[in-house]
Amino acid sequence: MPPTLLEVQDLHTVFATKAGKVKAVDGVSFEISPGETLGIVGESGSGKSVTALSVMRLQRPGKIVSGKVIFNGRDLTKVSEGEMREIRGQDIAMIFQDPMTSLNPVFRTGWQVAEPVRLHHGLDKAKAMGVAVSMLGKVGIPSPATRARDYPHQFSGGMRQRAMIAMGLTTTPKVLIADEPTTALDVTIQAQILDLLRHVNRDFGTATILITHNLGVVAGMCERVMVMYAGRVVESGPTVDVFAHPKHPYTWSLLRSIPRLDAERHEPLKPIEGLPPDLIDLPTGCAFHPRCQFKIERCMHDVPVLNRVGETQLAACWVTQSGTELKGA
Amino acid sequence: MSILGQTPATEIEAPISTFEGAATRHAQSYWNESWERLRDNRIGVAAGALILVLAAIALAAPLFTLFLTHYEPYGIDLLGTFQAPGHPHLLGTDELGRDTLTRLIYGGRVTLGVAFLTVGIALTVGTTVGLVAGYYGRWLDDILMRIVDMVLSIPAIFLFILMSILFRPNPITLAMIIASVGWGGVARLVRGEVLSVKQRDFIMATRSIGARDVRLIVRHLLPNVLPVLIVAASLGVGQIILIEAALDFLGLGIQPPTASWGNMLTNSESYFFHSIWLVIFPGLTIFVTVLASNVFGNAVRDAFDPRLK
Repeated sequence: MPPTLLEVQDLHTVFATKAGKVKAVDGVSFEISPGETLGIVGESGSGKSVTALSVMRLQRPGKIVSGKVIFNGRDLTKVSEGEMREIRGQDIAMIFQDPMTSLNPVFRTGWQVAEPVRLHHGLDKAKAMGVAVSMLGKVGIPSPATRARDYPHQFSGGMRQRAMIAMGLTTTPKVLIADEPTTALDVTIQAQILDLLRHVNRDFGTATILITHNLGVVAGMCERVMVMYAGRVVESGPTVDVFAHPKHPYTWSLLRSIPRLDAERHEPLKPIEGLPPDLIDLPTGCAFHPRCQFKIERCMHDVPVLNRVGETQLAACWVTQSGTELKGA
Repeated sequence: MSILGQTPATEIEAPISTFEGAATRHAQSYWNESWERLRDNRIGVAAGALILVLAAIALAAPLFTLFLTHYEPYGIDLLGTFQAPGHPHLLGTDELGRDTLTRLIYGGRVTLGVAFLTVGIALTVGTTVGLVAGYYGRWLDDILMRIVDMVLSIPAIFLFILMSILFRPNPITLAMIIASVGWGGVARLVRGEVLSVKQRDFIMATRSIGARDVRLIVRHLLPNVLPVLIVAASLGVGQIILIEAALDFLGLGIQPPTASWGNMLTNSESYFFHSIWLVIFPGLTIFVTVLASNVFGNAVRDAFDPRLK
């Protein structure tokens, strides 16, 4: 096992709303080693984006109420804002969901791609632009020197996402957080961007955290996966194992709700019954129990803890922890 | 290159060929586009040019009077009062025999100077307050915007009267007096714009690369609210000329003998039936200038306001 690069311990992030406190991230822990790829999956509102933003300490107006984010031996929840600024963009870079709005429309693309190196490495305009142009070339933008002088609206969505990735990579960060990097793109471009992220991970050795609600993306890209539900981690483990033998009913139902090539023919897709929980008023016990077809008495009272189930996986489920197999029609 | 290592990701296939042609075309920024739209509006350009010419004349006032009119703005000629337009006084003389054209040119210095200075002050203060309130939000926003509400609910004319009693109005104090009310509207405008721009992902993206607040506000937010500011500025000049003229007319603005377009009207009202040109020429100058600045302002708005697109 290589040493851990980034370790999140029992992170709690809360948003105060008029209706009450929303526990967007409710005790999330994970770690990532250099060069590793970790997928975080979950539906909208499951807390995956807020988890990522909390790592960067960009969760405003949310508040990190407890937990640790240990990076290079330092707890990022404790360092000063100035130190945090040094880490952002230099050690940990982030790519956002919508490339259409992630670039500032009034500046030339090259200028923006060059911004992190100018901020962090103190390069002058010309040198920074050189870095930006070469990076744009590496992420597959044709004639990068000319394109760097174009404005974002002259780029297509896929090209803008490439530019965002280039921007993230100019400082050779150790961790790249990609928050739904392909959600706003069409399918062929999605494949190209994922391919690019794979290359980045391999060639630069950048540890990559990929946040998505698309299980297919995780399957193709991540060594390990973490499934979130209602702000909590419900299951984590090597992607292969989690997909082959899900140990949490949510993951299990999720996998049965998407089409797959190796499924039995004529087998209908099974949606998960019910609605995602109200984060202000979570169900007691396991947050998933109202939608769970395996629930037992205990699920309604006690919040399950994330524990080892099987050889390689962790699951927060009383049912599987007691040894029951997940099977069903 | 070197800091990025030697393993390029160039082997990744990109849809290259289709973009080659596109790469050679001229980069069209928002500003270029807006500028071209503005240039296509002939009346707007004419109005803008007129304001520029008036401003140039006002700036070069001593040159004009030296070579063109040959009179001093304050040169009294008691033997030549109330001369009709013609020769030797192109636009006639007033009750003290002062040359109207010369005084109009010098008055333009004061009136346009006050107008531009007021717009400048109101815009600077309003933009700063609007950016800070919009960006930081929460209690700071509440406090600043309540101050703006207060400023905007003071009956301006009473404030002007009070202020011009407290400070003897000269062009600079007058500009500050008018701007002390004008900044409120600008602050609201900018704040509203910031609130919407702030929501866009590039602000979060810029934060995520470790930029400071100041950089975010000045480099990233400000350019995005600039279009609104340009529109506000170009529409503001006309309004302020009118306000200034009204204050002068009421005797609360620029004090005689200093000439301004407004106080030239004040003096001449008594001679309305006697020497009507004393009313017509300053009045016409104000009318044309305000009209030009409004027409230009509208043209600028059509060209620059992102919300109209």
